[in-house]
Amino acid sequence: MNDFLQYTLNGLTVGAFYALVALGYTMVYGIIRLLNFAHGDFFMVGAFLATGVLSLLTGSGLPSGLVVVVALVAATAAAAALGGVSARIVYLPLVKAPKLSLLVSALGLSLAVEYGTALSQGTGFRSVPHIGFLSAEHAIGLTDGVRLTYAQLGVIAVSLALMIGLYLYVTRTFTGTAMRVLAMDQDAARLMGVNVERTIMMTFIIGAGLAGTAGTMYALYYPQVNFLMGFLLGLRAFTAAVLGGIGNIPGAMVGGFLIGLLESYATGYVAGRWTDVVVFGVLIGVLVIRPSGILGERVAERV
Amino acid sequence: MALLEVTGLDASYGAIEALSGVSLRVEPGEIVAILGANGAGKTTLLRTLTGLHRAKAGTVLLDGQDITRRRAHDIVGMGFGHVPEGRRVFAALEVDGNLTMGGYQSRKEPAALAERRRQVYELFPRLAERQGQLAGTLSGGEQQMLAIGRALMNAPRFLALDEPSLGLSPLFTRNIFKIVRRIREQGTAVLLVEQNARQALRLADRGYVLETGRVALEGPAAELADDPRVKAAYLGGAPAEPSPRGPVASTSDNGGKGADGS
Amino acid sequence: MRGISGLTGLLDSARVKIPSLAVFAVVLLAFPSIADEYWTDVGVKVLLYVVLGLGINVVVGYAGLLDLGYSAFFAVGGYTTAILVGNYGVNWWLTLPIAMLVAAIGGYLIGYPTLRLRSDYLAIVTLGFGEIVRVTANNLEFTGGPDGVILPFRPVLFGYELAGTQSMYYLVLVIALVVGLGATSLTRSKIGRSWESVREDERVAEAVGVPSIRVKALAYVVGGVIAGVAGAFFATYIGIVSPTSFTFLTSVLILLVVLIGGRGSLVGVFLGALVVQGTPEVLRSIGDEWRIFLFAVVLIVLMFVRPLGLWPARTRRGARLAQSAEEPPLPEVGVAPGEPLLEVRGLTMRFGGLLALNDVDITVGRGEVLGVIGPNGAGKTTVFNCVTGVVRPTAGKVVLGGESLIGRHPHQVVQRGMARTFQGARLFSDMSVVENVLVGMTARMNSGVLTSLLRLPAQRREEQRAGRQARYWLDFVGLSDKATRFARELSYGDQRRLDIARALASNPLVLLLDEPAAGMNPSEKADLMELIGRIRDRGVTVVLIEHDMAFVMGLCERVLVIETGAKLTEGSPYEVQQDPRVIEAYLGVDEDDEGDEDADGDLGAGPDDTTAPTLTKGQ
Repeated sequence: MNDFLQYTLNGLTVGAFYALVALGYTMVYGIIRLLNFAHGDFFMVGAFLATGVLSLLTGSGLPSGLVVVVALVAATAAAAALGGVSARIVYLPLVKAPKLSLLVSALGLSLAVEYGTALSQGTGFRSVPHIGFLSAEHAIGLTDGVRLTYAQLGVIAVSLALMIGLYLYVTRTFTGTAMRVLAMDQDAARLMGVNVERTIMMTFIIGAGLAGTAGTMYALYYPQVNFLMGFLLGLRAFTAAVLGGIGNIPGAMVGGFLIGLLESYATGYVAGRWTDVVVFGVLIGVLVIRPSGILGERVAERV
Repeated sequence: MALLEVTGLDASYGAIEALSGVSLRVEPGEIVAILGANGAGKTTLLRTLTGLHRAKAGTVLLDGQDITRRRAHDIVGMGFGHVPEGRRVFAALEVDGNLTMGGYQSRKEPAALAERRRQVYELFPRLAERQGQLAGTLSGGEQQMLAIGRALMNAPRFLALDEPSLGLSPLFTRNIFKIVRRIREQGTAVLLVEQNARQALRLADRGYVLETGRVALEGPAAELADDPRVKAAYLGGAPAEPSPRGPVASTSDNGGKGADGS
Repeated sequence: MRGISGLTGLLDSARVKIPSLAVFAVVLLAFPSIADEYWTDVGVKVLLYVVLGLGINVVVGYAGLLDLGYSAFFAVGGYTTAILVGNYGVNWWLTLPIAMLVAAIGGYLIGYPTLRLRSDYLAIVTLGFGEIVRVTANNLEFTGGPDGVILPFRPVLFGYELAGTQSMYYLVLVIALVVGLGATSLTRSKIGRSWESVREDERVAEAVGVPSIRVKALAYVVGGVIAGVAGAFFATYIGIVSPTSFTFLTSVLILLVVLIGGRGSLVGVFLGALVVQGTPEVLRSIGDEWRIFLFAVVLIVLMFVRPLGLWPARTRRGARLAQSAEEPPLPEVGVAPGEPLLEVRGLTMRFGGLLALNDVDITVGRGEVLGVIGPNGAGKTTVFNCVTGVVRPTAGKVVLGGESLIGRHPHQVVQRGMARTFQGARLFSDMSVVENVLVGMTARMNSGVLTSLLRLPAQRREEQRAGRQARYWLDFVGLSDKATRFARELSYGDQRRLDIARALASNPLVLLLDEPAAGMNPSEKADLMELIGRIRDRGVTVVLIEHDMAFVMGLCERVLVIETGAKLTEGSPYEVQQDPRVIEAYLGVDEDDEGDEDADGDLGAGPDDTTAPTLTKGQ
């Protein structure tokens, strides 16, 4: 029972990363039907930038809480900027091109960001400066042996807050609604007066920003970074987005936490090396039963 | 000064020329009909006017301002409404949400939006009954009402309607034409693209006939309705070519009103 | 058929192409003699990627199914051969068909349960499948774990050991050629057209007679078999198979072969393989990171310059129109003219809480033209969808010529003699006009995979006959002069005609037309009426949904009115028009604005005097 509880806490933490990154996949897919392979790399860039800021500021005498906040903000902003710029330069010119061309560009961008990072930061693992209050010994003991570290608590709380904020933004504001209708019919959205290009860029900026936040927290939590980390995590997050129902924002959240839990239980009860088989097996099983994912709407197609 | 003044408009799809040298104007408060066969360029004309399609040459002036190279959302923001062919309502959004999006350009004026929303529901009581329903579940006629209502949320000075009666029952077709008349009465000029030439000409003040991307005929609606060429091609007045089985029906317009052939 | 047909296309289009083809062939053959060992090795890898590219081209290029886990099949082929030869000492040549079979089973296993998914969901499922295969291979002892399986044996052919780089080069070249020819045969047949139709619009393909699920599963199986062959050769060539050879990145590289080269083109596949396998070799000296970084930049730039790939399928269509036409005889049915051919009883359809159809009865006599009218949203199209198997009705019977159609898939309904058209003509827009018609014949064609692959005489005769019949139908609707254009290039009226020709191509007993005249002007409508009259004169029974009353009155002997999911009334056109309930629910009357609308006197008229001349048989 205690094991189960601990696995659940760990799973929710990992799931929070997946969910945050999955949101970006799902938003971009929802709006231009693109599987944005580079999205995981925005996460990676956030993590590297946060590492850079932390290395610079730890030991500068600033309180560590402030350092963490500065790193979060800086990394989020940088990832968001990268998302916006790549939308402008790589994707927007191709919005009307065949979908598969966009996919190739996405693959190209992903590799370019990864290996650009490798060229400037090296291919090895880089460790992240130690932040005292986030280390494993600072924890809330729940029951015997089951511990929720401050770091875990922080990751889950920040993620939930961001997700709720995003959900409200997309459903309650004009710009958010514009994103949703743009996904349904681009030309009709233009005729409502929606600046489609700007809205698409906004989507990339928000999605990439969330990935940047996730990247920072990831760097702090694990504490090491590598230029391929975005690819591996991105794959899981992408799976999470599909599992929840791609294009669906609550779906990405549910999918992310679900994959995190699955991974944690699979590692705990089966074996780490079988995790991928379990995760993808469940994904395929779910899709066979619910072809549009857990929360995806069944699209009524007319003939 | 004309509300809309189009001069020498050219547009193409790749190598295929869709519009060449189209000139037309719409005065404030007018209803102008655009007639023409399928593929004559009517929809392309509207799309080019609203900036959904890029003009190759020519100018479009809205109230004296050049909007030729402007982007669609700017043009809409200047009071140019466009109800696209096939209605294109946001299927997964409620009726009310569709109207909200129609008011996107006025999103900073909630009071004005609320007032317009009230007016639209007054104009289309049927939509008011279905406020919370997803637009995709409405019938074709209701969707057409919603598409028009959505465009009205932006309080356009000028409204382009692309085949509003397409696929609608005779009853709904009548309703839509009545609505167009009421929109004009409220001061909005209307550019009406219609297959339903008879009813369109009855409603319009003036009309243009497009053939393969050019203006072939223009004039007051009543004159066009009497023009033998228009009658033959668009009103079904003249007998069509004979069929192997004797007389072929000359179909007249929609709405069970085709009395001409008899 | 786009240009995988490249090969035959090249052979066909004489003068310019044949010399360049000859030069190309000489270069390919002479390459190992010119190049050193190292570059010959690169050549083998390029050729293996050509084979893989041909395989994924079937899946992605033709059937339009995005596959991100294609290396799974590659792995299955490689492991099968390696394990059989390495662990059990099976004869190498014998492992080849086994590897193909195992990969085919893999294709079927992954394909069948998931083919109802939309393409992007399929992409992640294939990705997951690829990962499952790789991780499993990595974890099992039987597959050698992370170390993989070593393959000590070298295949022997006519006493020569095929181990050297050079002999392997020629062997893979032969395989590439055979696979290329086989893929070309398939894609130029009914099967290739079915793949393309499913890519263009799966639901419409199903509704005009293509068994879409089976066709998609077949694409996976064929793609799997080809990757299996490539895997077997790869294993033999490298001498070891291990999980690191079959990562997600491998799948992406194979996919890039087609996307860089250009979907559906043989030359494109070759160029794509050259770029994917060759570029890294050229850039070898600058170090791994720079190499991949530059490759990535090239990819991005390439998509700006050539979004369709380096050598996309050509824009002019290869399929020619047959010289002569052959009229297919109307199928036999044991129903006398005038007797009920299509009977619908108690048809009820419930979508969630919504009762879309409530206990509708319809009887259509053989040879009749029945009109269906009713307000928008009354359920007219739902009747068509229930009758043709697009949706399964909640209750009720649908019987065609004595046989029940309930529970049949749309393509089976077409097979049994009922075809339909669509609101707004949903054509296969990236296929040619004649190909659209040929797809409509799928339900009446019998050739299978093997006969198509080998181009056996029976299959060729069937294709030729289909070509002549397609000519007949195009003549019938007047589109023969536009046969080789893309469907999307047709004018609106012509698209409607093609939609009808495609439905007629299945040689149906009953033809259902959904708002055929919508958006047409009077002269186009008159032409359409004439066409429908000729269809009826062939003996085809016609049911049409239409709003244009003059059109309905001019064609139909009997009219059925549907309102809010139930039959309101039925009768002769005249009776129906007089019915006050029909006037209220559907036709309407000019009330308040009668005055000014009809100011000019001669235009307006009530609904009761629509007496357009008719085409009905009684005349």
